[in-house]
Amino acid sequence: MENGNTSGDKSSVKPIRCKAAVSRKAGEPLIMEEIVVAPPQPYEVRIRIICTALCYSDITFWKLQVPPACFPRILGHEAIGLIPVQVEELRVVESVGENVKEVVEGDTVLPTFMSDCGDCADCKSHKSNLCSKFPFKVSPYMPRYEDSSRFTDLNGNTLFHFLNVSSFSEYTVLDVANVVKIDSSIPPSRACLLSCGVSTGVGAAWETAKVEKGSTVVIFGLGSIGLAVAEGARLCGASRIIGVDINPAKFQIGKKFGVNEFVNSKTCENKRVSEVINEMTCGGADYCFECVGSSSLVQEAYACCRKGWGKTITLGVDKPGSQICLDSFDVLHHGKTLVGSMFGGLKAKTHIPILLKYYLDNELELDKFVTHEMKFEDINDAFQLLIEGKCIRCVLWMG
Amino acid sequence: MEKTSFSINEGKPIRCKAAVCRKAGEALVIEEIQVDPPQAYEVRIKILCTSLCHTDVTFWKIDSGPLARFPRILGHEAVGVVESIGENVEGFKQGDVVLPVFHPQCEECKDCKSSKSNWCARFADEFFSNTRRYGMASRFKDSSGEDIHHFLFVSSFTEYTVVDIAHLVKISHDIPVDKACLLSCGVSTGVGAAWKVADVEEGSTVAIFGLGAVGLAVAEGARLRGAAKIIGIDLNPDKFELGKKFGFTDFVNPTLCGEKKISEVIKEMTGGGVDYSFECVGLASLLSEAFISTRTGSGKTIMLGMGKHAAPISLASFDLLKGRSICGSMFGGLKSKLDIPILVDHYLKKELNLDSFITHELDFEEINKAFDLLEEGRSLRCILWMDKQ
Repeated sequence: MENGNTSGDKSSVKPIRCKAAVSRKAGEPLIMEEIVVAPPQPYEVRIRIICTALCYSDITFWKLQVPPACFPRILGHEAIGLIPVQVEELRVVESVGENVKEVVEGDTVLPTFMSDCGDCADCKSHKSNLCSKFPFKVSPYMPRYEDSSRFTDLNGNTLFHFLNVSSFSEYTVLDVANVVKIDSSIPPSRACLLSCGVSTGVGAAWETAKVEKGSTVVIFGLGSIGLAVAEGARLCGASRIIGVDINPAKFQIGKKFGVNEFVNSKTCENKRVSEVINEMTCGGADYCFECVGSSSLVQEAYACCRKGWGKTITLGVDKPGSQICLDSFDVLHHGKTLVGSMFGGLKAKTHIPILLKYYLDNELELDKFVTHEMKFEDINDAFQLLIEGKCIRCVLWMG
Repeated sequence: MEKTSFSINEGKPIRCKAAVCRKAGEALVIEEIQVDPPQAYEVRIKILCTSLCHTDVTFWKIDSGPLARFPRILGHEAVGVVESIGENVEGFKQGDVVLPVFHPQCEECKDCKSSKSNWCARFADEFFSNTRRYGMASRFKDSSGEDIHHFLFVSSFTEYTVVDIAHLVKISHDIPVDKACLLSCGVSTGVGAAWKVADVEEGSTVAIFGLGAVGLAVAEGARLRGAAKIIGIDLNPDKFELGKKFGFTDFVNPTLCGEKKISEVIKEMTGGGVDYSFECVGLASLLSEAFISTRTGSGKTIMLGMGKHAAPISLASFDLLKGRSICGSMFGGLKSKLDIPILVDHYLKKELNLDSFITHELDFEEINKAFDLLEEGRSLRCILWMDKQ
């Protein structure tokens, strides 16, 4: 692993000063600060964020007080940006590092936390979307260069990266493996959703589960991911889409996304939610999706997918170290499959453009996901909205 | 098999020999029993030969709880000839060569009509009645007139047995019966797991935990599918020599791994993990190892081993989230009536190796020796012949 020191002509590469929302202490409001963003190294690009949305994984790692949480950090990973052409003092400010061929200044891009190098055996395989050249981890640094950050605060202290993206900043630096060029005509507050949440949910139904027309689907957790699964299942032609949540407000919201039946897991009386589902579906659903990140809920979901061909898909991110416990007899005898999936099983560079096309063709609906749009400076309000379950996607616009 | 000798007993009980289990873990007793004629949807079969499967041993040892039943006729891997049929039986007649199969196929329920799995919604949930359609009614009586319990709807450690049509497959006369017998459980389970459940493709890498008959059958199935690397894991190094006949490319003995976990060794051997792992022992801790031995993004783990203690399986959420999947399977995902004839055909075309599974042959009366051989890890499949041929 190279150490990220620039080897180019120093007179043509410049750091940029800009605003960022820095997370300095677990669970505490982000601080708007001026930071310094270093120029891109070989295989990297520096982009200007147009807008960014808040995803629950940002909250998870913001609250966490143990590794892989680290501070001070620039969070955010769902966004859309531009590779700017900038001229300062009669010199072009580099946005595109050496060896980058797939994007140029002026391109609109989605940063993606899922790496897609296109080169390794897993990227080349149609079966997997987990790049083995840049294996997934919640790292404080850039993926290609060991212990290397592009951010410093005004005191010269390192600021840590997040999920290869760090979008809560006016400028960020991405590895080319985490960049997808997209059509610039798509409204940014819609396109940015495909850089994480909506792709994860839609992909899970479409690619990981391969939901067929007429299927019965159960979705545990009607947050953005769960609603995106519903949207995906709707597009796949599922006939029953059952939503499970503890918040009854989600039921009305869910209807817009194709959820046609609801179970409030808090009001099941003495029954487990899996028993209720098994009764409703005469033996279990074809597909169950866990979109919360709780091992006990994964176990419930597994208990109500049908014997024989039932499939349970887990998407929710649980606390580090959590374990899922399954009954041996159940696993051995009943033929059910349990599968986990990141980013909905999608390959960022291959599938995001396909999903954008579905949006442009008015098949995939994205508008209904955006419940709030705010200024970047109001980011802490967005955190509160999401923590309180009062928004689906809150999009923050840079100045 | 002369049809005329069969018509003598039609509609009447038959007196014959059986190996009866009267006490958990104790030698089976060869006794004279009575086998009643088949009721509606049942077939009475003359067993030609039967083999011992580890599941027989597991149940033989159970001494308490609802699964401990005495007296009982064990055995569920066998081949026989139809002696007589009950009412409403179509597709079987006297003289047909048949395999009894513990896993049901009613052919009428939603699952049986779907090609997606081999589950049978009508019958597969219920394991421990004596007869499929008549609850605890038994077709066996001992010499004092006491009912003897059936086992897994087969009970093959007897010269004659009665089997429901949902548990019976007609096969070709062309296959030598001792090879056919293997397809009634163990080999079909393993080969099916590689074909149907995992759908192993050419060039895949595979890890098989536990090199008993099922594990070796998985290897045979993976070999036929063109797997590039087949890694066998077992504590008994003798299995490695035997395993070479089944297409294994590598072996791992966990006792020689030192500080390293088996999964770490496998990941090193395969640049990140295998495409498919199979657990063929029945240990929850081994299943967890098998699970993390697969590569992230696409790895699939198939659970086949049936353990006695049924400890819960524990998987790390994050290991699962990273694109791995796990599923269990009975009878290798095969629909017996459709798929066993296909396997027979593969054998007859010399594509499927069954001969190497048979390491011993004994007379039925020596059945207790077969138990010893299996327990000591010295045999794969021991064929027990009913009639001295």
